[in-house]
Amino acid sequence: MPSMDAISRNLMLDSLKAYARKNISNDFIREKDQANEFPAKILKDMYDHSILGVHLLMIPEEYGGVSGGTYDIYRICEVLAHIDLGIATSVFATFLGTDPLNVGGTVDQKKKWLERIAKENLMVAYAATEADAGSDLLNLRTRAEHVLKNGQLAGYRLTGNKQWISNGGVADLYTVLAMAPGGPCWFLVEKEMEGFSPNKHEDKHGIRLSNTAGLSLDNVFVPKENLIGEVEGQGLVQAQAVFGYTRLMVAAFGLGAGWEAVEQAVRYSQQRIQAGGPLSDKQGYTHKLIVPHAVELEAARAYIEETAYRLDGGEHGLQTEGAIAKYSASESGNRAAEDAIQALGGYGYTHDFPVEKIKRDVKITCIYEGTSEVLEMTIYRGRWQEHLKTRGRYYADIADKMDCLHAANPDVGAGAAALALRALAAVMEECRLAKLTRHQAVTFKLGGLISLAELAYVFAQAAAKDKYSESVRFDVQAWRAMARVYARGAALRIAAEGLALVTGAADGAGGLAAAVDMDAVQAAQKGMMADMDLVAAKLKQTFKAK
Amino acid sequence: MHIAVCVKQVPDTTEVKINPETGTLIRTGVPSIINPYDHFALQTAMGLKKLHGCRVTVISMGPPQARSVVQMGMALGADDGVLLSDMAFAGSDTWATSYALAKAVKKLGKVDLILAGMQAIDGDTAQTGPGMAQQLGIPQVSFCEKIDLDGRKLIARRLIDGGYEIVEVKVPALFTMIMPRDYVPVYPAFLETHASLKKPYYVWSAADIGAEPRYLGLKGSPTQVARIYPPQQREKAAMTGGSAQEAAEKILEIMRKEHFIAE
Amino acid sequence: MINVSKKCIGCNKCVPVCPFAAIQLIEKKAVINEACTLCGACVQVCPVTAIEITREEAAARDLSGYRGVWVFVELMEGSDKAGSPRKIRPVVFELLSAGRRLADELGEELSAVLLTDKNPGFEKELGAYGADKVYLVENPELHEYNTDIFATAIIALTHKHKPSAMLYGATIMGRDLAPRVASCLYTGLTADCTALAIKDGLLLQSRPAFGGNIMADILSPGSRPQMATVRPNVMKLAEPIYGKVAVTVREEIKIDKNLRRVKVLERNLERGNGGVKLEDARIIVSGGRGMKTREKFKVLEELSRLLGGVVGASRAAVDLGLKEKAHQVGQSGTTVSPKLYLSFGISGAVQHIVGMKASDVIVAVNKDPNAPIFSVAKYGVVGDAHEIAPKLIEALKKSKA
Repeated sequence: MPSMDAISRNLMLDSLKAYARKNISNDFIREKDQANEFPAKILKDMYDHSILGVHLLMIPEEYGGVSGGTYDIYRICEVLAHIDLGIATSVFATFLGTDPLNVGGTVDQKKKWLERIAKENLMVAYAATEADAGSDLLNLRTRAEHVLKNGQLAGYRLTGNKQWISNGGVADLYTVLAMAPGGPCWFLVEKEMEGFSPNKHEDKHGIRLSNTAGLSLDNVFVPKENLIGEVEGQGLVQAQAVFGYTRLMVAAFGLGAGWEAVEQAVRYSQQRIQAGGPLSDKQGYTHKLIVPHAVELEAARAYIEETAYRLDGGEHGLQTEGAIAKYSASESGNRAAEDAIQALGGYGYTHDFPVEKIKRDVKITCIYEGTSEVLEMTIYRGRWQEHLKTRGRYYADIADKMDCLHAANPDVGAGAAALALRALAAVMEECRLAKLTRHQAVTFKLGGLISLAELAYVFAQAAAKDKYSESVRFDVQAWRAMARVYARGAALRIAAEGLALVTGAADGAGGLAAAVDMDAVQAAQKGMMADMDLVAAKLKQTFKAK
Repeated sequence: MHIAVCVKQVPDTTEVKINPETGTLIRTGVPSIINPYDHFALQTAMGLKKLHGCRVTVISMGPPQARSVVQMGMALGADDGVLLSDMAFAGSDTWATSYALAKAVKKLGKVDLILAGMQAIDGDTAQTGPGMAQQLGIPQVSFCEKIDLDGRKLIARRLIDGGYEIVEVKVPALFTMIMPRDYVPVYPAFLETHASLKKPYYVWSAADIGAEPRYLGLKGSPTQVARIYPPQQREKAAMTGGSAQEAAEKILEIMRKEHFIAE
Repeated sequence: MINVSKKCIGCNKCVPVCPFAAIQLIEKKAVINEACTLCGACVQVCPVTAIEITREEAAARDLSGYRGVWVFVELMEGSDKAGSPRKIRPVVFELLSAGRRLADELGEELSAVLLTDKNPGFEKELGAYGADKVYLVENPELHEYNTDIFATAIIALTHKHKPSAMLYGATIMGRDLAPRVASCLYTGLTADCTALAIKDGLLLQSRPAFGGNIMADILSPGSRPQMATVRPNVMKLAEPIYGKVAVTVREEIKIDKNLRRVKVLERNLERGNGGVKLEDARIIVSGGRGMKTREKFKVLEELSRLLGGVVGASRAAVDLGLKEKAHQVGQSGTTVSPKLYLSFGISGAVQHIVGMKASDVIVAVNKDPNAPIFSVAKYGVVGDAHEIAPKLIEALKKSKA
């Protein structure tokens, strides 16, 4: 679905931010976090279409929604993550829960249920995960048995247990994945249905404002009209179809939470005077604890946006792209939050300052919606196919494009990105020749290196544009410096770690050492210090001490 | 009854930064918001619309991106919106701005009530509202916290130095609004923003409103900005010590110097 | 230029309103003669908007003959409309002080403009603060402020006497009146000036903008009078010269009752709010651990009362039970931005500074000269806060006596 115009989108974001300023203070969040309490009133307001109505983004206009596109949803998720990841997760859960309907529902089902969700402000939950089926959904135990009336199929009886379901204890409507005789399916279960009961709210490390509960289904009868799509066995296909953009949503969470942490650190560092000056002027501090994370997060942003534009432009799937975005943004968000605590020192370690909570919260983004490890595998699988199909030309071709870009715009890091891509292509080819992908560790590591290279070139392309998207808070000078810093880092890691990976697993490295062109990669590091100084200065300018 | 509400898109002045070398404003990354006083004026208009069924038109003068505040007005309930946008308006001071806005109101036809925020948080002059009223030849009521409509009469509560007044005036009239203590800004729900796209929206140029070029822009503005510079930087604290008595006297002196107590 | 269009219905509303008797009804149509000063009173009362005034371009105007600095004399309204004698608002004397300086530099006269129902001899005070003349309009319709009436009177005076510059207090009244006058005269007006000077014979007006983030210097080269408003407590008050009385120039201006289109039904001079909240406070007296005990902390309440302020406290003080949490200033308390933040015994932990850094003037008292609070303070006093506070109260009381 194409995204809406920028003005409407930003008016909606403004309304959300204004609501948060007024109703969701830091003190309020701290209190709820400490008490492990779901802020029911806040979520009620968010779903109330006369107050905000965030869930309407997921619902097409014809059913009473506002037809939000991928870009719109990414922006809302980012803003929610800045506010509180628990609240964001609760909203995300409704988006996820509505997905099987959007993707697999019959016309009648969509009309009936989406209209109800829009009009009655229903909170939805996505109930897939079980004790033995997390990353591996094929291990599904919840059963859906046929119920016959007069020899005809009347409905299903659902029995089983779900675990760690966001909104589990508070949703009005649940989309439950269960194994029917014909295969896995999604069923719509309403909270009042007999035999259905949520369990207690979990006591979690982070996102404590998100209600997380197991579900018990004890012979819950659902009419056959509640089987999404009314055809058995479509469940996993329906789930897979939307991974592209559900992963983008969690990527936006990593981005939003990560930036909230970095912003806190940047503002704090300008006020904290030690050894004769503010911390923000000390390279040893900024270049370790702040600049690298700002750079990584903006690289993730560029990648998220590129993927969002493609999905809004009509492309389907893009599951690998979604995985790269989610993997990169969530891991970067985590590192950023970790170092934000360090950056605030003793203050960062207390509950008075928000960074320790952000760190606890953002960890979940590496776990749900595909753990980082599963995603490394997914990314590897997706791109390995491309490598084989193109006989090793996939990344080499993109590297050629980067060379052209570098010739026209030498200041966007395209040259270093080209080095990164060529090194990656060489590493992948060597893995193929030496059959190293039989080692699972190699495949997962490749997934990580692929992500670095892809972010590098997409960031370079984005930085080369004349005008940046509405979400970018930096000027051309700053963003291009960040793109250069990122690309240099990517090239260095791919060359060094890729070479080590292969050398470590193979009998001989062949010509890989030459192929990764470490000399050129080292030469490309020139200018790194000056660029990091520039980024540090721009961060200070953009995020004034309050 | 037809109400026109004038709104302005302004930079969020709490986020504005100064380039320390040149002393000029850095606008990149500074979010644009609706002028808070105009936001209150919009809400006041919607309150009257709810009670009396008036037609509300929201007007703004600004570059194309100022469409955002016009649309926000429509999302909050206005029936239609107008953006006055023309390169000719660039560089207008408050006189030239109030001239153009007055022309736009005239083009709207018979407008009974005009509401505007008391001042814009970028210019901080509070001059455009009264200027508009003067050019339209209608009475003005400034620093207004509340308006009630009674037939063709408007009863308003306005601030005065040292207290407040209740005044009465017949339409047509112009009010400039200032938020009362219990003011809560209302933002549109997502559905309202979505619906606002369907409402009539017009973009008018200087020619469309019959504005004469000699009264517009820099040329038409009687005031000129001669220079812009950053305010004095915070200097290091002036330190002092001594006995408790001496210190107390010194603090007294400081407070006199800074006009916190009479000399 | 002024023009009566075909829309004129001959209703005769404009004729009596004109202060200069410049309109006649001839064959059921309004005709305006040369006595017209473009004051706009007729435009305002015409029910069919048949009268239009077009302004001369700024560049084309004849600015010769404009001399003199004027100050509008704002009187403080009384709540009883029976008209007990009103006083001059103090800002007027500050304007006269500044105006005197400007007039001297220009080699011109300083005049006060007084619109009132009864002048109780204000020319004495106005003269003492530097006015050479007082243009006095005495008329029962001037018993209270009214935008249209006051604007009409000033415009009439302006046309007659052609001042080069005119200053108003940036009070509510001033900010209501000055723009109305300036708009009618198509002349430059600069609001909230923090400094006024003469540059090449022009009035150089300096003021803050963008929420105080920048300063701007403004000129009105092509129009007269150059108008400016100034806030109270900005211009330095000169020493009054008692015995120097301004010359009163009585002006007769016809003021028609119909000009009073806005009627005051009720006036209330108390601002009915009780205790001021921390976040709105203009003055905050704040205490920290250095105040030592609850009793000693109470001293700050008296100090705050004397200054008309509100009491604040640091987190340390609140945690020690010296003051209730509602008064806590800082990251986990309230963020404040008063004009004066007077801190006693607060060291200035980051989480406190975050909450009060935006204060205009910070005066910090602490016995440790390296306390971080001194890095944001404008004035630092090194000493024992719990000893200095009571001494300050004594000194304050003595000075008020």
